[in-house]
Amino acid sequence: MNLLLIDHEDSFTYNLAHLLSGFGNLEVKNYYDVEENSLKKSDIIVFSPGPGKPLDYPVSLDIYNFYKAKKKIIGICLGFQLIANGEGGTISKQEKIFHGYQTYIRTNEKSLRFPNNALYQVGRYHSLKLKEPFNSSSMHITMRCEETNVAMCLESHKYDICGLQFHPDSFLTPNGRQFIRKIIQYKK
Amino acid sequence: MDNAEILSILLKSDKELIIYRNSEKNNFEIYTDFIKKIKLNTDNLDKFLNKLERFKSNKPYDCYIGFFGYELLCKNINLKVNKDNSSFPEGVFFRPQTKIIVDKRVKVITKSKIKLLKDLKVLNKAKISRSNKISVSPNIKLYEKIFNKFKKNIRAGETYQIKIAQKYSNKKELDVVNLFFDLMKKNLSPESFCVRTKDFNIISCSPENLFKIKGEKIITSPIAGTVSRDKVKSIKEARKFFQNNQKEDKEHNMIVDLERNDLSRITKPNSVKIQNLKFVQKYQYIFHNVSEISGILLNNVKLSSIIKAMMPGGSVIGCPKTNTLKLLNKEEKEPRRIYTGSFGYYRSKQDMSFNIIIRSILNFKKNNEVFAASGVILDSTAKNEYHENYLKAKSLLDLLK
Repeated sequence: MNLLLIDHEDSFTYNLAHLLSGFGNLEVKNYYDVEENSLKKSDIIVFSPGPGKPLDYPVSLDIYNFYKAKKKIIGICLGFQLIANGEGGTISKQEKIFHGYQTYIRTNEKSLRFPNNALYQVGRYHSLKLKEPFNSSSMHITMRCEETNVAMCLESHKYDICGLQFHPDSFLTPNGRQFIRKIIQYKK
Repeated sequence: MDNAEILSILLKSDKELIIYRNSEKNNFEIYTDFIKKIKLNTDNLDKFLNKLERFKSNKPYDCYIGFFGYELLCKNINLKVNKDNSSFPEGVFFRPQTKIIVDKRVKVITKSKIKLLKDLKVLNKAKISRSNKISVSPNIKLYEKIFNKFKKNIRAGETYQIKIAQKYSNKKELDVVNLFFDLMKKNLSPESFCVRTKDFNIISCSPENLFKIKGEKIITSPIAGTVSRDKVKSIKEARKFFQNNQKEDKEHNMIVDLERNDLSRITKPNSVKIQNLKFVQKYQYIFHNVSEISGILLNNVKLSSIIKAMMPGGSVIGCPKTNTLKLLNKEEKEPRRIYTGSFGYYRSKQDMSFNIIIRSILNFKKNNEVFAASGVILDSTAKNEYHENYLKAKSLLDLLK
């Protein structure tokens, strides 16, 4: 299996790379340096975390839109927001900023990849959040922050797409690898 | 002449030398009789690192010891920096032929004792000139402007943590070696060093190691979190303070993940381990909150890749590193030179150590400069952080009076 990790020059990308490397051949490419060939041969495209907002990365948004119906897509943090943006969502500022926080999140009945009503402890680094109401016929919010109710996971019921607002790659997420495994092993 | 006498005259002479604290052995090492002195710049850096790839020391004194400056390290990862119009080198490495170990006894290891003793004489004490006033840049007005700009950058997620540096400077001639040992009596930091050359001098009491490589293992020990010993009395209390202080704790988390990331660029998959999470180190005036993270280097990883992945050290810059450096280099007008660069030694691919240059005085052309930086925090004010920078720099500024 070929995985392509698109790096938005974050200081957490390579933590994610180590998590992903156990699941196949991993290639890491800078967001301004992604070649057509890498995209074509990949089975899974992963959008890394990174600074700023989705609209700062128009090429990544184009890649998402072009491949969303064709390949498994995973987005982490900024990657989650790229997916949300690609599905018509808006990314906005939040009152309380979560940088280096460990909080609880809970899954709901809409999740296809995770058990319903499960509680997980996760690490978070985000200034921005998905603005709600977020309306999409195929994309569902399947995890929320216990404290603030902010959206923590987006899963598509139509395509093989999953985004996590939190960081499975952080040492603050005790079972990070399991999140990645469940997403990668999920079959549409 | 016995070894102690040789040492005493050497220190009082004007011979070029480097003093380096070895905190593992709890002694000082003095290097001199340099057969090579390589001034680094963007054009020769790769060549130098390639040369080191093949270098292997087989004598106790033989090594390359020196520093990479901040601007060089930024350019090395393709970032724009402010132009430094002075002739100060962007990095310098020395290859010594003499090493003197200062323990309870003085041990001299040298290729040539004749060379070591040649022209060695005590200098008449230079007249210590009067110092002039210490100036600071950016001043409070400009600092406030940058601070508020960076707050907006944090709100917008463009940086998660960013540390603005300030430069304190004045003119005064320094008795470098004496000042260094005075400082060591008060503040014996694990990564202290002193460089005395014809062109420039450095006095440093840096507390932070950026990375050490022993064999195939690389280890980094980032510091994030500082509390004054006036405020808390014991290590136990300090631990509690760091645990209860939300801001310090979250900042520390971020730096742990950042360093895990930087190590992950050059280590075997899933070999990165947090060996020691959040332990307290005690200094003369402060406690530091430190973590220790290690990894096993990839087979055949190049030295240049290690430097690119690890430098400049993230804990003193902010996170994510690349964009935060871009924001800093746009707003800061003073070249940082040695500040937040790295000093260390290289004995072989399996044996090297580099620190982060903070808490240091650079003396260049009679001009002295000290930098200090602290983080932009949303619920803090520019005035508070401006003052905190001054406190960090104060013990060094006292030496410039």
